Amino acid sequence: MNPSAAEPAADPMAAESLPELPRQQTNPSRWNGAGWAAFATRLRSSGIEISEKRPALAVYATDSGGLACGMPHGVALARSTEQISEIMKAAQKYRVPVTVKGGGLTTEGETVAYGGLLLDMRGMSEVLSVNKAALTVRTQAGIYWHSLAEALRREGLDYLSAPLNMTSSVGGTLQVGGIDVNSPRLGCSADQAVSLKVVTPTGEIKECSETENPELFERVLLGYGQFGIVTEAVMRVRPFTPITMRYFYYSSIVEAMEDLKMLVRGDAADYCGILTIMDKAVNLLVAFDSDGREENFLRTWRKKLRGHGEAGFALRMAVHYALRPWKFQEALYLLSRKNAMQPEFFPYHHMEKGKIVDRTVVFSNAVWKFWGGKKMVIPDLATSEEKFVEAIVRGNEVCRKYFKHYTLYCVAIKLRDGLPRYELSCIPPDARGYAYGCEFEPMLGDREYSRDYLQSFKNEIYDIGADMKTSYYRFGGGMKGYIRRAFGNELVDRHLALKREADPAMVLNPDVIF
Amino acid sequence: MSATKTDVVIVGSGPSGAAAAKRLTDAGYEAVMLERKAMPRHKPCSGIISPRGHRFLIENFGPLPGETMHEPRYCRGVTFHFPRGGALPMDFDGGPTPHMHRKYCDAWAVKRSGAVLHAATEFLSLEDDGRRVRVRASRNGEPLTYDARYVIGADGPRLAVVKSLYPEYAKSIPWFVVGQKFHAIKECPLDEEYFHFWFDPGLGHYTWSHARDGRQIVGVGFRSGEVFDTKHARVVEHLERRHGVRLGPGEDTEIVTANFGPSLINRYVFGRGNTLITGQAAGFFNMIAEGMSCALHSGAIAGEAAVQAFRYGSDVQTVYREMIQSEVRRTSDQWNPFKVLFGRPHEADFRGALSRLPPGRRRLVWGDIWNFVKLYSSLNWGRQMFCQGALRQFTGRYSPSRWL
Repeated sequence: MNPSAAEPAADPMAAESLPELPRQQTNPSRWNGAGWAAFATRLRSSGIEISEKRPALAVYATDSGGLACGMPHGVALARSTEQISEIMKAAQKYRVPVTVKGGGLTTEGETVAYGGLLLDMRGMSEVLSVNKAALTVRTQAGIYWHSLAEALRREGLDYLSAPLNMTSSVGGTLQVGGIDVNSPRLGCSADQAVSLKVVTPTGEIKECSETENPELFERVLLGYGQFGIVTEAVMRVRPFTPITMRYFYYSSIVEAMEDLKMLVRGDAADYCGILTIMDKAVNLLVAFDSDGREENFLRTWRKKLRGHGEAGFALRMAVHYALRPWKFQEALYLLSRKNAMQPEFFPYHHMEKGKIVDRTVVFSNAVWKFWGGKKMVIPDLATSEEKFVEAIVRGNEVCRKYFKHYTLYCVAIKLRDGLPRYELSCIPPDARGYAYGCEFEPMLGDREYSRDYLQSFKNEIYDIGADMKTSYYRFGGGMKGYIRRAFGNELVDRHLALKREADPAMVLNPDVIF
Repeated sequence: MSATKTDVVIVGSGPSGAAAAKRLTDAGYEAVMLERKAMPRHKPCSGIISPRGHRFLIENFGPLPGETMHEPRYCRGVTFHFPRGGALPMDFDGGPTPHMHRKYCDAWAVKRSGAVLHAATEFLSLEDDGRRVRVRASRNGEPLTYDARYVIGADGPRLAVVKSLYPEYAKSIPWFVVGQKFHAIKECPLDEEYFHFWFDPGLGHYTWSHARDGRQIVGVGFRSGEVFDTKHARVVEHLERRHGVRLGPGEDTEIVTANFGPSLINRYVFGRGNTLITGQAAGFFNMIAEGMSCALHSGAIAGEAAVQAFRYGSDVQTVYREMIQSEVRRTSDQWNPFKVLFGRPHEADFRGALSRLPPGRRRLVWGDIWNFVKLYSSLNWGRQMFCQGALRQFTGRYSPSRWL
């Protein structure tokens, strides 16, 4: 950084001597374009179509977060594993950055290309085969989860766990985690993968699984796109069952979190999680795949929960606000929110005999559409069981400081302890058995906020994580300054060395982690 | 003569212009930046930057190259000197910040921003037909025209863009003369790792000193109408008498005028129609007159507002004025008496440092501050600051109705 500094450690302006603030370039400069023309010519000569027209590029200027912006030099739609292999070979040769995008549901610009090629994986979105006997599906990785669910439904099957917003792609999800309300039972989506077909950063095509090329398998899963492009995935599935849902309401986050932990530890429900309206109305949801499980829950666990049913909670809230008439606006907001959300949680047109026959209706855009606006920020903390409640309580305070209206979304994630894939991921290193995650979602609505304001909010949430030594789900892109604080130099440097070995030109998904 | 067509014309190549350009070029829009002088250009400035500004530079433009900094390369914080209360050093939150060499730092940021720089090109006037803005400029006496969707005025206290929108504005605000001289150091007990500021009404409205590249800078700011050399000599004499600072004769005199004040009383000027004003031109000035960090952030917000307006077809003024609230709060809070007394608006712990003093000295410091503030009484800011501060406490924001 400074050639004149003989002893960098003694120089307070040296990057490594600034421990307090994440100081790293997180809004990357646009790649200078050297080698682009030769790269594009070579790909075109191999019959690969690349669009360089501005209207086509502008579609890819940002991601779901709407905050980070960047323009690629060109866009290619994924067509086949072989085509992607050609692209990566040429990218290594001409040192052209390649940013891979599926659903683009990142919020920190991880799927935004700051120059170079943007590879849109949605061109590869077919289900290839379903094995009903083995309960597995082989699919192209650019498929959206809701399309996959639809294809599986025709076979009487269902996915195990998918991310909350199902317009994310399978390939993208496997590389970051994928957390659902059944993750407390089944783990994250990445743990459902049986085997993958991967194009490595140098363009080799490899199959990998826990028995074949296991190192690659472990690096690619939860690898934030650093070690390969997943083009096909074989995943475990299960027979389809309708589900029944029950909701319990709390006015204390701490009580709800403690009850959630109790249910998770006791394997009391097939699905469970928490969604809140600020810290005023806390909703613990549980759902069951079978009547037997539900009956067992009602018999063993219901009486241990401190939450109320809807009528009981409504009565308590009525009394609460009757005694605090000056908070009538808050009461009105809670009521309006309940009225807006309830139909989504009881989708009568998708229910039969009290059971939800299509859970993708609830766990997809239905929930997401209540968050964010044109822009979206979702900082999060992922902790061990012991640190969970403290982290949420502190994060909740930060939300209150910055926003009038917000939601917390909390789930547990079952872990298969000791898997190398959990290193440098959202799974906290000190978590055993289960990890817990909480997303802090401000209701941005149509109000305009500066990036600085939203960034300050995120920083304060992530500072809690750095202070408590927890992990995060969204640590790429704009928040990559926190990675070294969260994971320590030794681990990050080890992964950096692995990345350099796998991707000598450092061209695959740059500016995400390293 | 045909006009150069572009998405946005940015007037000024300082930090606010570079930040605006960065946001625009990231999103794929072309930003043409007009700079009056040839680049890199000299700019009289203390080079002090707050931790927020430092962080912005690194996050957006990358690690700072060596040539963007003066010696000493960093500043640990600020030392306030009170006539009776003595010295009160405070470290910046989050560690030292760089001592920016504005000539190279600004040029570096502009280069990294991706803006198309038109140097030696002076902005003359603009015409907004509601859809596009025509900008007239000149380069070496040759007239030039630009045709842009939006114009961002980021030309600091020159206010060229502001004047073209509001011809009377510059005459309606108080102006300060700020000058500095460089001195060879014979003996200087002032800690060179700190920026020194004097709360002494006898010296000037704004009196400071710090080390740079082996010399000591002694500067003073005051209301227009007084003689710089006399004021400056009085400060040098004070430094020698009170602090034992012995300096060589002053050289390389630099004098600028500053539009200091709008951020104290929430009287910002943000533009009209398709023209946005940002940075110091809009009136952003931090405590201790550090302007770079709020220039960077407000400039970025102007760029974000333009991107938002491009992408969603929204009205750029509405978006900008809503987004800029966060920076207005950041900046005006630093001057808000309620925030200073009961909050923590600065990036150094003033009240913490004060609380470590014995009670007697603490009282003297408050007395000194009060005497110093009285120096500004002729400006009639006191009531406005109090009212704006009180409104901020109640409503949580500064009223946009006072902005131009």
